[in-house]
Amino acid sequence: MANRRPREVERPTRKRSNKTKKKSDFFDYSLLFIVLFLVAFGLVMVYSTSSYTAELKTGSSAYYLKRQGLFAVMGIAAMLGVSKMDYHWWKRVSLLMMYAIIALLILVLIVGKASNGSVRWIQLGPVQFQPSEAAKVVIVLYTAHVATIRAARIGDLKILFRVVAFPMAVVALIAVENLSTGIICAAMVAIIVFVTSPKIKQFFAMGGILVGFMTIFLLTQSYRMDRIKIWLHPEKYEKGYQTMQALYAIGSGGIFGKGLGQSIQKLGFIPESHNDMIFSVICEELGLFGAACVIGLFIILVWRCVMIAMSAPDLYGALIVVGVTTHIAVQVLINVAVVTNTIPPTGVPLPFISYGGTAIFGLLIEMGLVLSVARQIRVTKEY
Amino acid sequence: MPKTFTRKKIFVVALVIIAAFVGLFARLSYLMLVRSDYYYQKAQALHERERSIKAKRGVIYDRNGVEMAGNKPVCSVSVIHSQVTNEDEVVKQLCRVLNLDEEWVRKKVTTRSMREKIKSNVEKETADQLRELGLDGVMIDEDYKRYYPYNTLASKVLGFTGADNQGIVGLEVAYEDVLEGTPGSILTLTDANGVEIPNEAEGRVEPIAGKNLYISIDVNIQKYAEQAATKVLKAKQAKRVSVILMNPQNGEIYAMVNVPEYNLNEPYTLVSVEDLYVGSTEETQENTDEKTDETKQQNMTEQEKQDALNGMWRNFCINDTYEPGSTFKIVTATAALEEGVVRVDDTFSCPGFRIVEDRRIRCHKVGGHGAETFRQGIMNSCNPVFIDVGARVGVDNMYKNYRKLGLFEKTGIDLPGEASSIMHKQEDVGAVELATMSFGQSFQITPLQLLRAASAVVNGGTLVTPHFGMYATDEDGKKVDTFAYEEKANAIQKSTSDTMKELLEAVVAEGSGSKGQVAGYRVGGKTATSEKFPRGNGKYISSFLGFVPANNPQIIGIIMIDEPVGIYYGGTIAAPVMSEMYQNILPYIGIEADYTDTGEKTKE
Repeated sequence: MANRRPREVERPTRKRSNKTKKKSDFFDYSLLFIVLFLVAFGLVMVYSTSSYTAELKTGSSAYYLKRQGLFAVMGIAAMLGVSKMDYHWWKRVSLLMMYAIIALLILVLIVGKASNGSVRWIQLGPVQFQPSEAAKVVIVLYTAHVATIRAARIGDLKILFRVVAFPMAVVALIAVENLSTGIICAAMVAIIVFVTSPKIKQFFAMGGILVGFMTIFLLTQSYRMDRIKIWLHPEKYEKGYQTMQALYAIGSGGIFGKGLGQSIQKLGFIPESHNDMIFSVICEELGLFGAACVIGLFIILVWRCVMIAMSAPDLYGALIVVGVTTHIAVQVLINVAVVTNTIPPTGVPLPFISYGGTAIFGLLIEMGLVLSVARQIRVTKEY
Repeated sequence: MPKTFTRKKIFVVALVIIAAFVGLFARLSYLMLVRSDYYYQKAQALHERERSIKAKRGVIYDRNGVEMAGNKPVCSVSVIHSQVTNEDEVVKQLCRVLNLDEEWVRKKVTTRSMREKIKSNVEKETADQLRELGLDGVMIDEDYKRYYPYNTLASKVLGFTGADNQGIVGLEVAYEDVLEGTPGSILTLTDANGVEIPNEAEGRVEPIAGKNLYISIDVNIQKYAEQAATKVLKAKQAKRVSVILMNPQNGEIYAMVNVPEYNLNEPYTLVSVEDLYVGSTEETQENTDEKTDETKQQNMTEQEKQDALNGMWRNFCINDTYEPGSTFKIVTATAALEEGVVRVDDTFSCPGFRIVEDRRIRCHKVGGHGAETFRQGIMNSCNPVFIDVGARVGVDNMYKNYRKLGLFEKTGIDLPGEASSIMHKQEDVGAVELATMSFGQSFQITPLQLLRAASAVVNGGTLVTPHFGMYATDEDGKKVDTFAYEEKANAIQKSTSDTMKELLEAVVAEGSGSKGQVAGYRVGGKTATSEKFPRGNGKYISSFLGFVPANNPQIIGIIMIDEPVGIYYGGTIAAPVMSEMYQNILPYIGIEADYTDTGEKTKE
């Protein structure tokens, strides 16, 4: 039943967009440039942060750089490929991908429990694969698709719940192992349906209920309360070590920093400084000025995406861009907030910059989606 | 195009996100501007390691600028794993050059991310050999080690230093403040494992070398004295021979000998007196003796070994007291003259003993000296004469004069561990005690206390402070400290001093100290043979105290032969040694001969 109706709505949209494509061949080069710049900057910082420890551990200072570089190159190729596609094609596979990702997440839970309880990876031949990263792409595509279909009646709570049923199942599966990624995914789903729905109050009500549940959840689980204690007084707890080290790095940066490559904190003081804590080393080496530049780039990126979303050819395109933008923005905000000890510590990588193959690959595919939506904007008519 | 409300909502979401970014940026600005110093300092404290640079210890020179204690450059070799490029080669060369066990070295070399010390106190030549090989990751640090070019010379005076170049005994510890330098430091940055980060800007505080110390010892005089003392030690199979040579006018000590001396470069190697007897004519059982000696050393417990070492490092001249015996008659005579209770020509009689209360105190001449003047009494070192003289002075005046001559106080010499005299309580002194004290028995003083008192007696009455330290210079040789010592003028009257000089010259010229004569010089002096406790064991300390020239003394000396075998009279065995030393030393220090007509005197 559900399968029949989408196709009806789908047809006209696709025809219209095909026409547009013939009229203009717009490509958002400024967005592409920002993304490429962030990726390149990320590679520089990964090298800067990892070279010393990589040398000690593996004997090759470029060990992490090479791996990350490989994924970046693959990701950029994939991004360009995706950007050339008509984004409406994804509607056909989104349900399939949803089933696949649920299966993968369940699989990773089983495999993970079999090994040591916190494994978030699946080994695919020589490549490690993190299903939760792929889940973000799937959630964006699926939720955007379903929300577009139900757009007219989404103000009805029953319909709304039906739209978010699958995505929230995925969120739950992710949150079991990784609360912060779950929160990011939930935020993506929430923002997509929020902008689709004409209503406002029910969202605030739901938001209030959610906050209530979260509070109870946190209070009942003692180890999460520990995190809050560590957050409030990181210097008093052994587990606050990483936070303190990040603060030392940030604080010792000053206005212009110590200079690229001059960080001391990356020399083993901050564990895995090329991962989630990379922003603290950026602050130490490039100072407040460098940190402002990075944050500024992300703001421009978000703003550019918002412009694309607002002038997207159809609701589906707009919702894809909104989902991707939410993903990137929330992740950057959480990462910087954790590094500056503004919120309790949790492990979230900085998009495009932190080390992590699946993450950067997934993000670049998402940017490919945004670019493909941007390509179908009717520039000639509107502007 | 999405509907208008959708676009509005997107716009609102975007604004919220950007607001959140701005909020975080504000937080970041607070951390990086307001809290920057706080976190920077904390981080810096975490990163910095201070490595100290040892300061060069001051050199000890003799009065003529001859180095007696210096610094030998040595090196310490360490390995930094992360900088090693050719592990096998490093291990091989370290083993070869430093002569170390391969397995041990390999373990050190392969230890990750730490600076591993391979060997310290490596000779400079050896370290240079390593340096020439130019091995990556092998660090050679310069260091100093205390070095004594004369090995045993004046060992018990100089003392030695410990592992950190700090003084342990002798002048090295007495002048620690002068000799010790101020260490410098290198500030380096390290990673989380404490490994130094190469090429990081280093803060460096240069060390300040210690001051150089010039002491009153004359290396040549010390050598003469040591040779003469060693010779008599061997000849008499004595336990120990001590010599002090001093300028009686100002207290500068030219030589202080305690043979057997020990090797300052190996202060923890026990020296046995018996080893010194080897080669002497009377030695017959040397092999068996040596063996028992070695096994004795091996069987020692740690405590026994430490005690033996402490004994070896002891400076008898100041750390131990003894019964001075007849040399102390100088003090008794001085007291009598000071109090005016005796004149040089007063006559006494000696039947060979004197009954004091219930005690019969013998003279060393069993038959007695018969009738004699006070002058002859001194020349003969006659005990009954001094018993009478002591009785005339009385306890209170005697003690008053002891005090004037510094016998109740430490001499104030600039060496640690000076012993105090052991005297009867003044109120406990009866006739017997007074009598025995008059000829130098029943109390103990240090040899240096006696020498100091005698100096005051012969230098016109000034009580000097015996000392070694003269002045200190900085690294460039500029004089920075001159050490001043207390002098108490007029401790005794000038006239007493003059009389005493004349009397003591007579002792050497015609009396019991005749073997202390030095051809061409006017020598004054007094001999002593003190029997050690317990009495009747046949153990003696034979000594002679002598000064030259007798009318205006420029050098005063005392020699003590501890437990000589065979003849033990001070006049017979100690005086000739002093005479021999003076024969070499007097021309050397430029004291001109008083007369050239020596034909008759040298015959004796």
